[in-house]
Amino acid sequence: MSDLQPRLIRCFQAVFPELSESKAARASASGLTAWDSVATATLAAAVEEEFGIEFEAEEIERINSFQSCLDLLTARQSLQ
Amino acid sequence: MKLIEALQIANASHEGAPFHVLLACGFTPLHLETAVKAHLSLGLPTRSIKVRTGLYGDLAGTLEGTQERPDAALVVIEWGDLDPRLAWRSAGSVNEEVIADARARLSRIEKAIAVLAEKTPVVLSLPTLPLAPVLHTLGNELSHFESALWEMLYGLAASPRAAVLHPQTFRQENGHDLRTELMNGFPYSFAHADLLAAGLVRMVLPLAPQKGLITDLDETLWSGVLGDDGPEGISWDVDHKTQFHALYQNLLNMLAEAGVLLAVASKNDTGLVEKALARPDLVVKPHHLFPIEAHWFPKVKSVERILEAWNVGADSVVFVDDNPLELEQVKAAFPAMECVQFRKDDARLLLELRDRFGKREVRVEDRLRLAGLRAGQAVRQAAGSGSATLDTLLAGAEAKVTFRLGKQPPDPRALELINKTNQFNLNGVRYTESDWNAYLSDRATELMVVEYEDRFGKLGKIAALAGREQNESFEVEVWVMSCRAFSRRIEHQCLKLLLNRWESVRFRLERTERNHPMQNFLAEIAPGRLAIRRAEFSRCCPPLFHQVDCHQTEYASV
Repeated sequence: MSDLQPRLIRCFQAVFPELSESKAARASASGLTAWDSVATATLAAAVEEEFGIEFEAEEIERINSFQSCLDLLTARQSLQ
Repeated sequence: MKLIEALQIANASHEGAPFHVLLACGFTPLHLETAVKAHLSLGLPTRSIKVRTGLYGDLAGTLEGTQERPDAALVVIEWGDLDPRLAWRSAGSVNEEVIADARARLSRIEKAIAVLAEKTPVVLSLPTLPLAPVLHTLGNELSHFESALWEMLYGLAASPRAAVLHPQTFRQENGHDLRTELMNGFPYSFAHADLLAAGLVRMVLPLAPQKGLITDLDETLWSGVLGDDGPEGISWDVDHKTQFHALYQNLLNMLAEAGVLLAVASKNDTGLVEKALARPDLVVKPHHLFPIEAHWFPKVKSVERILEAWNVGADSVVFVDDNPLELEQVKAAFPAMECVQFRKDDARLLLELRDRFGKREVRVEDRLRLAGLRAGQAVRQAAGSGSATLDTLLAGAEAKVTFRLGKQPPDPRALELINKTNQFNLNGVRYTESDWNAYLSDRATELMVVEYEDRFGKLGKIAALAGREQNESFEVEVWVMSCRAFSRRIEHQCLKLLLNRWESVRFRLERTERNHPMQNFLAEIAPGRLAIRRAEFSRCCPPLFHQVDCHQTEYASV
């Protein structure tokens, strides 16, 4: 978990450059006007690249906040 | 480049002047937009990159609807732009109607590109992905149907309106990402988008090609060692299985005919080299090789002498040799020079060398370059011997300077000179095509392109000068002159022309690492300041012997 979070923050900051680390860790689609469908697709691709994984389409649909993305990654990690 | 890196570069804030790009494609631009923005940001670090995209599925509409004048337009065609039934996301059954529909769509796209190309540089990419599996033929068979589509696409590419990326260069095994195409309408893997973006941007911001190639002889220009094998024992032919050297020689001919300077640096017996280069079956034409430094002095010394004869910087030259030690020594002496090891039977070597010198078109000046250099040697030697000797030589040179004044029709040679000249360059400022056009479109901007010839031969268009009148003085903002034209007092003739019209001339000089010839010239004629008045120039101008021809009536007083 401790390794996942900073790497995920890096992904969020790449897509939403205006976010500080602390704000990135609390980011959600409902709280960010810049978070649209293009941002979701970009974020998913950035996370896939950073962690060397490939999301299922339904997993990408569930990415609507930093926490939801972190949960997906944690679940993935627990399966390995 | 990785996606995260591209996002960081693309999203970094830049406060420079905007550089507007139209990215026209029929799919969701997603990562291609990011990659284009990132590569442009790297190429234009002082500019703020603004990318405009169009509507999904309507490439022709995007092109037709472009009212503004972007700094560049990137047009990326994929199969769905010919007909949605050919794209993976919207694949449907195809029949002969598709051909007719594709022809109609491409015709619209071609017309729209023609209109756009009137006002901005356009770069075109043809389909880089495989067709959706809508045809019954095997994937490794080119069907009549697909042939007909490619025929239309190549017809579009043959139009001179746009620069076209070579589609074969951009086809990658893992270029297609069907998952993102189905989910988001974006068909490329990021790696593919990055490669394509880099290619598009390189066409918009082309690197200045290298100017000269210095080649070794033994085991490079030919197979064998001249000192051991003798002029008849060296080879470059099929019988000796040394044909690769003939291919290399042939490449050198092509480069020379495109204006690349070729020279020889070889530790060898001078007499033997002369005999070898006189062999009638030699592929490279010996007159392309200038100078030939073949002796037993260190190779570094030879390279130094060649650079002096060419009057170009080491960073504009590629050195080719089979000997790693020689390469290392030359690299140590000239760190900016690209040193390439000759690799026998390696096709990539020849392709890489070609690309280091690649240019879109060959101009008259390219063909005149070598003759001009040969002729210029006498002038340079005279210049080094003192002004009296130079006066004598220039007085008998029957030199003619032609000034072409005016901005229409646009002369692409001016921009080429500005973007490739380092030494006699007022400030080293480089221009994109769109920036240059915008600068010229200012009514106040005055442009002169200078041609030169003398009894030794033509040099062609060798200088460009531009600037604007300010407070009854003329401010020179752009001034470049080819190093081939040094020591002929053409720069004095340019100033004389300006000072016939304006009482004074000011120079927007920026000192660069390379523009010492310009700095020295200005220090000589206007010591301590960046301006000169007519009377001052009259006092310091050396004798000018040129016949002057001026093509614009407003300058008829010269």
